[in-house]
Amino acid sequence: MTRLSSPRLAGYASLAALGLLAGLATGRVELVALAAPFALAALAGAALGRRPQLGAGFSLDRDRALEGDDAVATIRLSSASGLDRVELLLPLPAELAAGGPNPRALRLAAGEPRTLELPVHCERWGAFRLGPILLRGRDLLGFHAWEAEGGESQALRVYPSAETLHALLTPLDTQVFVGNQVSRTHGDGIEFADVREWAPGDRVRRINWRASARRGDLWVNEQHPERNTDVVLFLDTFAEVRVRGRGTHDLAVRAATSLAHRYLQRKDRVGLVGFGGFLTWLLPASGTMQLYRIVDSLLQTDIVHTFAARDVTILPPRSLPPKALVLALTPLLDPRSAGALLDLRARGFDLVVIEVSPVEFVQPGSDALSQLSYRLWKLSREALRARYEQAGVPVVAWREGVPLNVPLEEVGAYRRFARPARA
Amino acid sequence: MRLALATASALAYAGVLAWAAARSPGLAGLLVALGGLGGVLLLGVLVRGMQELLAWALGTLGVVYAVSLVVAGGGVDDAAPLVATGLLLCGELAAWSLDARWRIAEDETVVRRRALAVGALALAGLAASALVVAVALAPAGRGVAWTTLGAASAVGVVGAAVALLRRGDSSG
Repeated sequence: MTRLSSPRLAGYASLAALGLLAGLATGRVELVALAAPFALAALAGAALGRRPQLGAGFSLDRDRALEGDDAVATIRLSSASGLDRVELLLPLPAELAAGGPNPRALRLAAGEPRTLELPVHCERWGAFRLGPILLRGRDLLGFHAWEAEGGESQALRVYPSAETLHALLTPLDTQVFVGNQVSRTHGDGIEFADVREWAPGDRVRRINWRASARRGDLWVNEQHPERNTDVVLFLDTFAEVRVRGRGTHDLAVRAATSLAHRYLQRKDRVGLVGFGGFLTWLLPASGTMQLYRIVDSLLQTDIVHTFAARDVTILPPRSLPPKALVLALTPLLDPRSAGALLDLRARGFDLVVIEVSPVEFVQPGSDALSQLSYRLWKLSREALRARYEQAGVPVVAWREGVPLNVPLEEVGAYRRFARPARA
Repeated sequence: MRLALATASALAYAGVLAWAAARSPGLAGLLVALGGLGGVLLLGVLVRGMQELLAWALGTLGVVYAVSLVVAGGGVDDAAPLVATGLLLCGELAAWSLDARWRIAEDETVVRRRALAVGALALAGLAASALVVAVALAPAGRGVAWTTLGAASAVGVVGAAVALLRRGDSSG
């Protein structure tokens, strides 16, 4: 506990001494009378300077929350000797907001513990540590202050809220494991695919008797097998546009969470690649644990600026399995990520680019040069989009406030009319 | 609240200054100028939060009052306890105003108890000061013994002040 004394205490004592000496020197009792209250105040201040006994505890009612949720921080204070004024502050990061008075000043009666509840509103996703609380005790007249920290810090993970997705993108290829996705290939399954001539080894139950009767030979049904898919969420973390607490990275993380949640619900395997100044990856896997792994990894992703050249060759090969659907979430701001995505397409990956549009966050300046540069910037983005489309990669823009379903539907429509050429 | 406290502090300062200037009309201009200097220091405390200047501002006003006493001469100023209390209130309200400059949600009890404490301190200061004046006016006699006692008290208070100063320096 650190003790701080107000300079006023020494000032009062000095004034009292000065008044007494001046009274003695001049023989004026008024100067002694002038000194008397200050001497009294200094003595009172010295008497109040006892070190208080202050105990504090801090806890959170949860360690995980969703964006928009309220967590409740409970602060317990006690003092055996009592304290006339206790100021307490729970330092909060910018992403969290106090739903009650913070900081707050109160009185602690001797031996009477107090419990305070402070709602903490989770405004943005992230991994945070709250606490310890900062305490400052003061005497009645504010001559002395004692500062301390109270309670242990607590972890709070705020998960991004997931959007409701009605339909998901169907990958061009499926994997070999059983899943919910109807494969384009033929095999054992439920969905009818075609009929073919019977071959030795075919089971009798697969014979299509009507087709066989019509053609005079044995014909068997073929089905589309139900398979799972590998989905890799490719998060561009080279750069973002952020204005007043809102940014493209936030949107990208929210989209990645929604997609991971929905694909994993469908029993697909989902992986994550954070491609930027700081490279992160999660190998594709399925299940609820993978969802938590992905979301925890997303919480720690941040925009890290770097000048180092990066391309897809630095990614571990298993992070991008063959035939995986690569869903790139990018603001298309950095040429390195743009180049890496084209490289992925050239390597035959089923790539979809969801452009988290930064255009809404950028306001053109008022002068002619700013307007011109803004137009050039938008044109360069158009040119980049055209390059992707030439390579057969669907690029859809996703804007803030628009449901994620909309760009996904756009990709679906694109794929109905255009398919990437096979090498 | 901070503004109200700062205004009250400035008013207390202005009241004492006006009283000192009124006691010596011949030197009123000089006293007001000197008091204005202290007022600037007080403004520095109230506006800029430079609390180390508070004692200097009060000291300057004390000097103004002392000069007015010496220049005017005559008998004991009966209003001295009120002047002393005004000075103390000026300091206490300024300090409270400084404490209130942070946006802290305060329980009503805390504010009430501080107000009571400041009031009690002012009343106690007034009583102590009045007691000093009353004792001085009483025919208790004069002599070396009394002067020695007074000097010893002064040295004791100076010693206490030095001790408090050193304690303040060593902490925090």
